[in-house]
Amino acid sequence: MMVPVFVTMLLGLGLGWFVRRWLGLAFVALSFVLALGQFLFEVYSPEHGFSMPWIQTQVESATAPMGG
Amino acid sequence: MTDLAAAGRSYRALAFLNYLFLLLAMVVIAGILTTAMTLQYAWGELPCPLCLLERLALFGICFGLMQSFRSGFSYQNTGISLLFAILLLVISVRQTLLDIYPRPGHEYIGSAVLGLHMPVWSIIIAVAVLTAYALKLAVLGADRDLEEVQASAFPALSKPAGIVSLYVMALCLINVVSVILQCGLSECHTFGYRLLG
Repeated sequence: MMVPVFVTMLLGLGLGWFVRRWLGLAFVALSFVLALGQFLFEVYSPEHGFSMPWIQTQVESATAPMGG
Repeated sequence: MTDLAAAGRSYRALAFLNYLFLLLAMVVIAGILTTAMTLQYAWGELPCPLCLLERLALFGICFGLMQSFRSGFSYQNTGISLLFAILLLVISVRQTLLDIYPRPGHEYIGSAVLGLHMPVWSIIIAVAVLTAYALKLAVLGADRDLEEVQASAFPALSKPAGIVSLYVMALCLINVVSVILQCGLSECHTFGYRLLG
């Protein structure tokens, strides 16, 4: 849910400027944690977890000549 | 006495440079947020969830900058801004990797600016913020007395900083309303504003 992430940031900015720094800092820290949780929720897939199978990689042959 | 006066002038010059850096950084970030919101409201390009989180990280960077003008410069404020810059970098790198291989449901959305889409720009912005802070710390970081000079000692900087800070808060307020309309109390989509039907 994105709304609490932004509401806590707004409270952090406003309270930090108009009321007390530590109060603003507390809300900004809360917003940071909520944003981190939201980010993990958004990128998590029930099928692939946090992996990215659409990016195909393969190990080069050990005998292949190295560039450079 | 002359040496002391010269040291005082040099000391004030460094503090001035420090606050000038902070003000310019805040103006640039406010400009980036304004551009993103203009694309949203003028051209109808709704932000995706990760794009919204990238905006949030920019507001977080601004918190550290704003507090340096409100309650005095401190390295704690610098740390807060750096934390949000790292958050911005992590989110934008992951989003770029999500969309780097176009497939159904996953491709860069929105208009490209100079050939680059928003997540790629976000990487550049995050790296630019981190680099700018690294350079500032390399140049001014050795001066441990910077914390003793309040921004109010430089009205030419503190007054515009106050205006830009209020502007950033207004942008955040508009974003809150926008997020409520777009996402409601559920997941966010880019099809339209959920609460506007």
